Amino acid sequence: MALETLERARQEFLAALAEAGSDSARVETVRVRFAGRRSGLLRDLEEALKSLPREEKPSYGKALNELKQLVEESLAAAQKAAGDASKRSEVADVTLPGRRPAIGAYHPVTLVRREIEEIFLRMGYSVADGPESEDDWHNFEALNFPPDHPARDTQDTFFLKGGMLLRTHTSPVQIRTMETMPPPIRVIIPGRVYRCDSDLRHTPMFHQVEGLVVDEGVTFGHLKATLEAFVHVLFDPEMGVRFRPSFFPFTEPSAEVDITCVFCRGKGCTVCTGSGWIEILGAGMVDPRVFRACNVDPARYTGFAFGCGLDRVAMLKYGIPDLRMQFSGDERLLRQFEGVKR
Amino acid sequence: MKLSLGWLCEHLEGPAPAAEMAERLTAAGMNVELQEPSGDDAVWDVDVTTNRPDAMNHRGLAREAAAAGCGILKPLAVKVAEGATQVAKLAKLTVEDEAGCPRYCARVVRGVKVGPSPAWLAARLERCGFRPINTIVDATNYVLLDVGHPLHAFELPLLAGSEIRVRRARAGEGITTLDGVARTLTPEDLVIADAKRAVAVAGVMGATNTEIGPATRDVLIESAYFDPISVRRNARRLGLSTEASQRFERGADRAMARTAVDLAAELIVRLAGGEVAAGVLDSAPALPAPRTIEFSLRRLSDFAGCQIPREFVVKVLAALELAPQVGGDTVACTVPAHRVDLELPEDLYEEVLRHFGYDNVPSVLPAFAVKPGKRLGTWPLTERARDALVAAGAAEALTYSFSSEELENATAASPLGDRGGVVRVENPLSARLAVLRRSLLAGLVEAAAGNLRRGAERVLLGEVGRVFFARGAEIVEEERLALALAGTVGPWDAVRSANFLDLKGIVEVVLAELGMDAAAWRPSTAPLLAPGEGAEVLAGDRIVAIAGRLSEPTAEAFDLPAPLWVAEVDLATTAAERAPSFHPLPRFPAVTADLTVRHGFSLSYAELLGTIRAAASEWLETVSPVVRYRGEGVGVDEVKTTLRLVYRHPERSLTQEEVNAAHFALMDTLARKLAVSFQ
Repeated sequence: MALETLERARQEFLAALAEAGSDSARVETVRVRFAGRRSGLLRDLEEALKSLPREEKPSYGKALNELKQLVEESLAAAQKAAGDASKRSEVADVTLPGRRPAIGAYHPVTLVRREIEEIFLRMGYSVADGPESEDDWHNFEALNFPPDHPARDTQDTFFLKGGMLLRTHTSPVQIRTMETMPPPIRVIIPGRVYRCDSDLRHTPMFHQVEGLVVDEGVTFGHLKATLEAFVHVLFDPEMGVRFRPSFFPFTEPSAEVDITCVFCRGKGCTVCTGSGWIEILGAGMVDPRVFRACNVDPARYTGFAFGCGLDRVAMLKYGIPDLRMQFSGDERLLRQFEGVKR
Repeated sequence: MKLSLGWLCEHLEGPAPAAEMAERLTAAGMNVELQEPSGDDAVWDVDVTTNRPDAMNHRGLAREAAAAGCGILKPLAVKVAEGATQVAKLAKLTVEDEAGCPRYCARVVRGVKVGPSPAWLAARLERCGFRPINTIVDATNYVLLDVGHPLHAFELPLLAGSEIRVRRARAGEGITTLDGVARTLTPEDLVIADAKRAVAVAGVMGATNTEIGPATRDVLIESAYFDPISVRRNARRLGLSTEASQRFERGADRAMARTAVDLAAELIVRLAGGEVAAGVLDSAPALPAPRTIEFSLRRLSDFAGCQIPREFVVKVLAALELAPQVGGDTVACTVPAHRVDLELPEDLYEEVLRHFGYDNVPSVLPAFAVKPGKRLGTWPLTERARDALVAAGAAEALTYSFSSEELENATAASPLGDRGGVVRVENPLSARLAVLRRSLLAGLVEAAAGNLRRGAERVLLGEVGRVFFARGAEIVEEERLALALAGTVGPWDAVRSANFLDLKGIVEVVLAELGMDAAAWRPSTAPLLAPGEGAEVLAGDRIVAIAGRLSEPTAEAFDLPAPLWVAEVDLATTAAERAPSFHPLPRFPAVTADLTVRHGFSLSYAELLGTIRAAASEWLETVSPVVRYRGEGVGVDEVKTTLRLVYRHPERSLTQEEVNAAHFALMDTLARKLAVSFQ
């Protein structure tokens, strides 16, 4: 009879402890109820031992001790668990933002420039540079823009003192390269250029990348394949590419290169004025007059050159709607490129 | 350039449908940009490149269409019914400047009745963007649009002495051009004059003194060929760009000068009646021998990279009126006067290829011996600097290289910015873009100000780019890096504003990335920076960077709403990229001892550190700052700096006693050498 009381007490204790879980206040309530020094159940059960018949005492006492041990160990474990749990809730709301060091961001023009450089570096081109303040010879005359030629009008030149000017294109570096490097030549020339023009689609400063190949046996077909490969790597391999005849004084023949409009995929939209194509590159075979200006023998060498606006490529690739926005230093734009690597 | 499709088709036998013609012309380089219906006609906007003045008219474009397989060009026929009176009896022509005017043709039509043009003609002019004026002027414009030759009509009785003289203007000679502007000419300007005065700026615009009016009866029609450079200089000097000047400066058709005057005379009689005087005044009827160009068919195919059939070559060149003669591998072409752009075999390759279709040339990648390329010039340096900026957490900006005189001057007021004079733009777009920057801060501070005005909590911008200096006659470019920092430090520290040490930390990261961490810092008095809050950084005895808070006057000039911390680094002294090499790791434990030094504010950290380094035991490995305290218990001019010193012996463990002895010895030396105390 008395042993049944102990067994009932054991079950009650375990049930109460399970219910309390790791809540330290509820574990404490269980402790007081069962193991409290003054009014705990164990104390009552111990009192009951005294009034038991003598023959029942040994078995009851043994069972009571087992129960006491169980209660002590279980309570200790529950208290530890409750303690751990409360410690956790003090330190760790892991969803709070961390103290992180600032992450930098490359300018979108730098990102596309590096992407383009990588494409050509892998094809064996070097990356050349030259001054932004140029002389007339390198910016115009050697590129077959004779003095007083109307083609100069399209260049909207900023003039500096002493006949110097701000280069209107990266093409003068073609001349500088041919003046200093014997063929075969394979270079690309990214850089800052300047035109005396400012409206919604033009800024007085922008960026171009230019390419130049001079070697024996270079053909128009090589030019086409190179630019197609370039567009396919830079955009996507399915991108349509179209070559239209055009005019640049330093190439003959000259071409403008269109790609499938990236906004409508060729269906026709306001960006491409319904044509499904957007112009992205100017290109052509190096004019023999340019070769002669650089003392390269046009009877032996042929070559091609191409160029495109880096800012425009950045706009197309990232969907930036306004050219001028790229030069505003607006961190709301620039920080969109945080962590983007090239 | 706007054209009427109906008019274009009048020059063609069996013209192709409009859509096909537009597509083929575009493929051949005459970019048809827009097609708009206009009644039973259509207006085309065609982009004609500057090397093709011959195509800036209906007949020229029809010739291209014919070569592109869109019909056959009709012959140009003109028959002028002449009266009995010889033109030489009515007017006199003298060309004094044959270099400026290689050919001048004129006809006289008498007894015209000037009035409005018929509707068909007015409509055609309007479609092409010309305003109809009267029968005579409209006839000249019609011929211009039809065959591309600019003409001018004078009221004959107003020509003093009934005379045309082509000469250079006299110094100070005046003329009121048809746009109503009174202009003063120079001896460089070529004019058409009568016996007394200038009556037109040659190839640019006529004058009001001989303008055709409602009462005009007798007219003299000018159809000349002017030197392109002469016209271009005239037009630029006068700031006038006209339909005529644009064509003359690109290169007009010397042969067409004669035909156009007939076309105009015939049309005037048709529109306004009158009688054409017999004969033409023509200063140079004989044309120079046409240019011939020979090329090799084999070289053409080699150049293209594919076989171009001989029959195709001949067909295209013939349609372009280049009279190809084939002999074996050689094709010889005779260049008509209207093709001013053709000189070299490559020019003819282009003619053939653009009609062959660029898209029909097979694309073949060149078989290069692939050797990886590399970055040349300053690219390795500037790319490394960009990486440094981004590693330091900055957002890379690209700002204009121009600034206003005032802001540029303010940002150049530093040892880096005053390395030369300012470079001015001679034709700036505005006063805000008048000079080239000598400091990247010119644009970067403006960008930072923009961000702060938009309410940015934190600004950290950087730029790598070139600055420009005038040194003697030279313009010198230098590569620079700049930083701008403002606002709060970051999340959890929103109450603390960025200070000098935040800026210095970023600059130190940048300098370390650039291999310049050995540089020494000292206070700067540059006006760019606020007094007491600026520093310059030296590598050897050369200042390689400046850093600090932007001075109040400069901040005000930029209308900055908050304090701005700025830095600029001269990239010319950047060290070579470090080749990493392994140092053996320490084998024995270190002993750490903190040292709190109470000292006057005037003792710099660099001096304190230097003294410690000089005085300390050779076992002292590193010294790093722990905390700096000012306030209760420390004098107003004082500060307590706590340093952590790490001692280590390379070959054995140090005992605490040894370290204590060294540490106390160091404290004694410091107390003796510097005015410092401990705790």
